[in-house]
Amino acid sequence: MVSVCLIAWSPTPTKIDAAVLSVRFAPFTKSPEALAVGLRPGPLLQPRALAAEPLVSRALAGRHSFKAEEEDVLPVLTAEGWLVLVGLDADDEDEGACRWRRIGGALFGELADSGIVRLDVALDLPVQALAEIAFGMSLRSWRAPSLYRSKPDPDEVWTLAEAVFVTEDPASAQSCFDRLAGLAAATALARDLVVAPGNRLTPASFITFLAPLVALGVSITEVKPDELGLLEAVGQGSAIPARLLVLSWQGGQKGAPPMLFVGKGITFDSGGLDIKDEEDMDEMKGDMAGAAAVAGALYAIAARRAAANVVGLLALAENMPSGRAMRPGDVVRSFSGLSVEILDTDAEGRLALADALAYGAKIYQPALMVDLATLTGAVEVTLGRHLAGLFSADDDLAEKLLAAGEDEDEGLWRLPLTDHYDEALKSAIADLRNCQWEEGPDALHAARFLQHFVPAGLPWAHLDIAGVSLLEEDGPLAKEGPTGFGVRLLDRLVARYLER
Amino acid sequence: MKISFAKADLPGEGALVVGVFEGRVLTSCAERIDQLTDGQLQRALASGRFTGKRDQTLLLPAPSGLAVQRLLLVGFGKQEKLDSLAAEALGGTILAQLQNAGDQQITVLLDDHEDAPCGGGAGLAASMALGASLRAYRFDKYRTKEKDEDKPSVRKMVFALDRHAKAKSRFSLLEKVVAGVTLTRDLASEPANVIYPESLAAYAKALDEDGIQVEVLGEKQMRKLGMGALLGVGQGSERESRLVVMRWSGAKDAAAAPVAFVGKGVTFDSGGISIKPAAGMEDMKWDMGGAAVVIGLMKALAQRKAKVNAVGVIGLVENMPSGTAQRPGDVVTSMSGQTIEVINTDAEGRLVLADALWYTQERFKPKAMVDLATLTGAIIISLGDHYAGLFANDDLLAEQLTKAGKAVGEQLWRLPLDDPYDKQIKSDIADMKNVGGREGGSITAAMFLKRFVKDSKWAHLDIAGVTWAKKDGPVTPKGATGFGVRLLDRLVADAYED
Repeated sequence: MVSVCLIAWSPTPTKIDAAVLSVRFAPFTKSPEALAVGLRPGPLLQPRALAAEPLVSRALAGRHSFKAEEEDVLPVLTAEGWLVLVGLDADDEDEGACRWRRIGGALFGELADSGIVRLDVALDLPVQALAEIAFGMSLRSWRAPSLYRSKPDPDEVWTLAEAVFVTEDPASAQSCFDRLAGLAAATALARDLVVAPGNRLTPASFITFLAPLVALGVSITEVKPDELGLLEAVGQGSAIPARLLVLSWQGGQKGAPPMLFVGKGITFDSGGLDIKDEEDMDEMKGDMAGAAAVAGALYAIAARRAAANVVGLLALAENMPSGRAMRPGDVVRSFSGLSVEILDTDAEGRLALADALAYGAKIYQPALMVDLATLTGAVEVTLGRHLAGLFSADDDLAEKLLAAGEDEDEGLWRLPLTDHYDEALKSAIADLRNCQWEEGPDALHAARFLQHFVPAGLPWAHLDIAGVSLLEEDGPLAKEGPTGFGVRLLDRLVARYLER
Repeated sequence: MKISFAKADLPGEGALVVGVFEGRVLTSCAERIDQLTDGQLQRALASGRFTGKRDQTLLLPAPSGLAVQRLLLVGFGKQEKLDSLAAEALGGTILAQLQNAGDQQITVLLDDHEDAPCGGGAGLAASMALGASLRAYRFDKYRTKEKDEDKPSVRKMVFALDRHAKAKSRFSLLEKVVAGVTLTRDLASEPANVIYPESLAAYAKALDEDGIQVEVLGEKQMRKLGMGALLGVGQGSERESRLVVMRWSGAKDAAAAPVAFVGKGVTFDSGGISIKPAAGMEDMKWDMGGAAVVIGLMKALAQRKAKVNAVGVIGLVENMPSGTAQRPGDVVTSMSGQTIEVINTDAEGRLVLADALWYTQERFKPKAMVDLATLTGAIIISLGDHYAGLFANDDLLAEQLTKAGKAVGEQLWRLPLDDPYDKQIKSDIADMKNVGGREGGSITAAMFLKRFVKDSKWAHLDIAGVTWAKKDGPVTPKGATGFGVRLLDRLVADAYED
């Protein structure tokens, strides 16, 4: 039997470093340091912008690219202080929250280093829209925690620290924002995990990074992989053994089958004996972005005391070459009983996940199962950096995920999952092999590989997030670096389909 | 190989084929044979692993009580799952099993039930015949010393059933499409010293025998039209580039807007100055696969007198490095007026298509436009050899294509055509560049093409992964598949004919 030991955990909740931007809602105050006002294309001025009409007209008289379209931001220095023109789209027909978030993100991105410390946002919009703009600003304000420097670098700190949203109804705006603030903190947690160096965030230390979850009432258990042969094999080259972390939030009906989220958590992936090229190998500290997303989602769900049962499984291992590392050609018995020939030690994520999926399905008898993994380079070739690959045999679950992705600006694109690819996974000596050497659709092969470890009939989806876990340049809701992709998506999935 | 349909009589020679459903359930004609052979079938079934699962076979040589040399039992699988695709695969499997056995004739004895899912006995026979004729394809023009025993022995395949006339009339339509597929496969298989822009244009020109109007544009005319993108690709080659326009007017209203098909025809793609690695470069003779499909499709449409106005446009060039070749960094002006910075001379297919697409929509104002191209290596890493990539600016057209693909077993998988990817092809000095990097490589290629599509309903099929098969499939022998001909013929039949 798999031995399960409960970690004696003394919760020392640490404040998540990334709540960099402080957000408040308040009635209008006179002569703010910087005032953001809204314009629509035309440009039509919102009421509060109208008050500054002469200034706005003068600012707009110059030649520049500000067209008052969504995400256009133009800071103007006036005698009274900064006036920040914020473009809003022509109509508010698009009810989606994402457009407001992107406006908030653009606003923060433009002013982050401007020298402005406090921004008063006087946009004449409904409180929900203000809260979403504030959320977008919060998401965009994340940056890597300074704890890896000996002292903070002043050039690496945003100047913008406070956003005060002008509203007649601060209380209801605040309550709209409270839920989103939890989600922003959850995203920040996931991003913190992804940037954490491989010598700090290890399979053993991972649990210490999850203290904020414990503080919220998430229980955390560690499972030693006695029978998780594949997971163990992935970690066997490292001095730090592999393990599973089980994060559990029981906010729903007692005994109701949970939703199970599984995250690939390779805390560092050197490739093992099939070692990777040196170029960009440092990015492989982020090969646990799936696990980070699951941890973040659990944080978000617990932060809003969701009436749902959700279990997160983090398959943690470090993939290293060494005298005891797994070798190409090794055959390993999986938790499910299937034997796997390891052709390529760098196709390790699917091994770790296979055991986690089989284990999770058996032990937790979930209502549905979703895994997230930075699994393949092939998915980047297919979908680039804008969409994650979605694989599912369950059309209903796939539709729900696609909808949640669209709602949250975390886009998915469905890719094929069929037994056609079994031929590529045929081993000469074992039940399965983990990949083929010939060039081919490796993301599809990987997904089909995983499907062999999922009980038939259990709704399951696999998200290959290798292309979307990191941004190469600043985006609307995150600066260059980790995105925290998956946190908002999973949170929305739970909110929409599990909480009633 | 000749296909024919006949009464359900027992043949006096060759190989006889009967079907067995899953669970060792004999078809009626298999029962008949069982009785004639004194229970030999039942005895054979009792002792072996053959259970009648689809595509299983069991060969019984010299069956007693029959005049034939061989009896082949074929697994038909579950009766309710025996649809037309399954029947095609069975036809292909039967042929593959027996074509080198030594017999000149194969006789497939079939029940004639009304209720088979593929349209009764006649439908079953016609689909099996289709599968067998597709599988029988060979390209042995250049074998001069093949021994007789290595060549297929089968000359004739007979499908024997009660309503053979009905089966024959069904097959006569399918046969026309086979002719198109065969032409496409031949053209893709021909080496690049035989097939070059001028000679491929001549093959297309030969379609006038089928009633297709063919025009061939030379470099001078293309230069006049301003096709700088296409001409740039061909400028390194000694061979002149060509643009071929094929028109089939089969609709009642001869003036009705046509449906257009545009094919990439790079008769050999060395990569140009951005030359490819040596290994596998010979495969680049079939980089005109898209053009070959358009030619085969036009033939199929004309042969079956499709009630549609269809236009086929193929851009034919050879991409070679030389003293006159296009250089990385060159900027070319396309027919649309848009300028393109050629970062990589090996991303040439999109340059050819850019002008061919623009020309097609300007001249014909088609109601729908579908292009086919062996465009990107990325599509092989994305979808392998099981699906072609489908990109479309119109959901209905995408659905029609997907449905047609499912019906004929030439499967498509839709991929995104979204604005965020467009950024990747921004150029520092021109309107766009011709490569967008490794990430989303097939998508950025499609986004490039999209810039040359105005308001036409348009779909792009990236067929680089499905044009050439590395191993035998049920209805496609190893080699050129002709993927696309049946798919687009079906699209026309389902959605664009009067």
